Amino acid sequence: MLEIADVATAYGKIEALRGVSLSAGKGRITCLLGPNGAGKTTLMYTIAGILRPRRGSIRLDGQEIAGLTSANIVARGLVLVPENRLVFAQMSVKENLEAGAYQRRDAAGVAQDIERMYARFPRLQERREQLAGTLSGGEQQMLAVARALMSRPRILLMDEPSLGLAPKIIEEVFSIVKDLNRDGVTIFLVEQNAHMALQVAHHFYLMEQGRVTFSGEPGKLAEDEVIQRAYLGAKRAGA
Amino acid sequence: MDDHLVGVLCNIGIISFVALSAYVLLLAGEVSFGQQAFFAMGAYAAGMATAVLRWPLAPALLVGALIGALTAAIVGRATLRLTGLYFAMATLAFAEMLRIAFELFVWQVDVDGSLVGPKGTDGFGDIRYLFENEITPAQYMAGVYVLLALVLAGFAAIDRSRFGRMLRQAGADPLLAELQGVSVVRVRLVAAAAAGALAGLGGGLYAHLLTYVEPGNFNIMLGVHSLAYGLIGGLGTVLGPVLGVLIDIGLLESSRLFEGYRMIVFGGLVAVLLIVRPRGLLDERAVHWISSCVKGLAGALAARRLDRSLRRR
Amino acid sequence: MIDLIQNTLDGAMIGSSYALLALGFTLIFGTMRRLNLAYGPTIMAGAYLGTYAALRLGIGAVPVALLVVAGAALAGLYVERLCFRPFGEGAAITSMISSFAVWMQIEEAATLVLPQHLNAFPPLVAGAPITLGPFFFRLDHLLMLVVAAAAAALVHGVLHHTRFGLGVRTVIDHKRAAELVGVPVMRTLTLAFVLACAIGGLAGFLIAASEAQITPMFGMWATTKGLIAMMLGGLGSLPGAIVGGLALGVIEAHAQWLFGPLVRDLIAWGLLFAVLAFFPGGLLGAREAGQAAALQRRV
Repeated sequence: MLEIADVATAYGKIEALRGVSLSAGKGRITCLLGPNGAGKTTLMYTIAGILRPRRGSIRLDGQEIAGLTSANIVARGLVLVPENRLVFAQMSVKENLEAGAYQRRDAAGVAQDIERMYARFPRLQERREQLAGTLSGGEQQMLAVARALMSRPRILLMDEPSLGLAPKIIEEVFSIVKDLNRDGVTIFLVEQNAHMALQVAHHFYLMEQGRVTFSGEPGKLAEDEVIQRAYLGAKRAGA
Repeated sequence: MDDHLVGVLCNIGIISFVALSAYVLLLAGEVSFGQQAFFAMGAYAAGMATAVLRWPLAPALLVGALIGALTAAIVGRATLRLTGLYFAMATLAFAEMLRIAFELFVWQVDVDGSLVGPKGTDGFGDIRYLFENEITPAQYMAGVYVLLALVLAGFAAIDRSRFGRMLRQAGADPLLAELQGVSVVRVRLVAAAAAGALAGLGGGLYAHLLTYVEPGNFNIMLGVHSLAYGLIGGLGTVLGPVLGVLIDIGLLESSRLFEGYRMIVFGGLVAVLLIVRPRGLLDERAVHWISSCVKGLAGALAARRLDRSLRRR
Repeated sequence: MIDLIQNTLDGAMIGSSYALLALGFTLIFGTMRRLNLAYGPTIMAGAYLGTYAALRLGIGAVPVALLVVAGAALAGLYVERLCFRPFGEGAAITSMISSFAVWMQIEEAATLVLPQHLNAFPPLVAGAPITLGPFFFRLDHLLMLVVAAAAAALVHGVLHHTRFGLGVRTVIDHKRAAELVGVPVMRTLTLAFVLACAIGGLAGFLIAASEAQITPMFGMWATTKGLIAMMLGGLGSLPGAIVGGLALGVIEAHAQWLFGPLVRDLIAWGLLFAVLAFFPGGLLGAREAGQAAALQRRV
């Protein structure tokens, strides 16, 4: 569904992505692991159209989306739940959800979807008039996911959804990921928490220093080493 | 040199002081819209010292600088907690308050049968020290540039000192500077006082050059211009603000090239320049390039000299 | 006592146009996080266009108002393209200085079009003041209040009940997040900027019409008045802009009555200085203060 070939992105002269190729299959959970600074967030922002790639192609259902604006990409059904959630802190929960549906024009459908989000995330319904900035970290993560779902994406990108959350909340987040996938949403997930991620993923990639260095399926050989390298990077793991 | 040219050069030198004053605060990480206030303080104080109190020029200028520093320190104590736009607005508010206060300020004294001193909105005239003591414009200009050279030398010295390093740290990343044990507020307070002294000194020189000042001379226009000079000339070196003044006053105001629509040309030029070079002509990269060229040239010369002396042996 | 009430009412009516002025200023600041010093001169560009047309074509108040608003919006677009669009959010000082350069341009252009210092501006309505008990109300001031209130309500409606408004609010809140949910940020910024200048144009028209004259100083006047009102209410807060504008109008009316125009301006600046030194969050309370602190870090 999402095919990335030889993508390179740079900040000035520093190349953060040095020819990344990977793909995320329809209806599956694909997970990208890797240590800090490997370029995972850069890749997510590049796919979502926030950063422009220097070269390479990004295809969504066979159509090239590299170089399109983020608004255009959202309209085509790809949306990113960013690292650190980035909810609209000064807007209410309900307004955050409305903002998530910015690219849609069907007011009735949007209203319906807001109710569906409340059904899926009851905590959001309780706090719908509250400013998003006053929610707890876990609630903000739920809101960020719900806001992204409001655009009715075909593929959902998630960048470090477990970052800074308590272990119990992390489990909740990953069970939501599974639920969403069961409902037919394709998911492409970036995680530091390799352990949790490998429990839900159908397929994973390992990224180190701007390149994909390993890919495979969880439960197969060398999982321990992958986890080690995902946390620590190849050099320090002594690989 | 003809009188017009001398006048223009004098003006460039004097306005450089207030441009440098704004630049000092930029180095400390604060944007001030209000350096014209201390310029005005210096102008009135030094003017009153010579015209009303009949002091000689040197102590009068010194008092102007001191009063500028003192005022800036007092205002700084109240406002330096603020950053960004808040600080800019607070300095502008103070400068406008002071300007209006000068509009209301009348202190006229009988000196040799005529009334001398500030007269509110009508301004403060008859600051005739230069005439009375037969100082020619060329001599005065020389004095202005000696002072300016001293100030620039002072900048170079401070740049290499411990304080210079603290100032740059406080300007670049106040939080980090604080963590490294630099008291950002104190560094900024010293910088503000020094900036006040510079502006005050410039103000004193300005009043004696023009012999007449009025509160309207010290409005927001002068404040924002002073700030703009640094950005036009470049933030990478202390010569940037001076270059900015040179371009504006030297090239545009005085050449009469674009009479009638000078501001349209100047404004457009500045706007386009900032797009091409957001940190001014002499930005950090340009300064680095020039200094490495100079070093390279000096290195080449030294090598040649060495070579020659070796050969001689 | 009667004077006190009369002055308060007069001040509130004038203050309504200050509030509108501050509303436009705040909208630019909120979305751009940068200060547009050319805001007042932009309005003046519109006002001069209106004056010129009134002088040459003898048109009435309503078409003049439309011309002023359109001229301000157009000049705003010029400012946005030249001083804001080319720079990132980090270049706050650069944008500010650049907008100052454009201020110089507009001011000189205005004097080239109408070289006299003082020009007559077509008044909004003529007619005897309405008396209500011991109080007088100038017709144009009343109309000013009504128009300003209607315009503020319209802006509120646009911001809270249209798709464009939703986009503007997300951009004010968090630009990166707005991009991620699919808001076309660049276009929204430009439109908000132009809208803000149009709001300022309307405020400028109301003020110039009630004064029945305009000078090249109008640009500086509008920038400084808008700044004071905006900062009084708390930087970046739209309700704060309204409160700040009204407060400034009332305070100025009393100060002018008691001490004359020079001291009136002294008090306005002194008030701004005191607010900044002691309550940097502006006149509106806790939530806005937190927001202001966050803004302060970002500016």
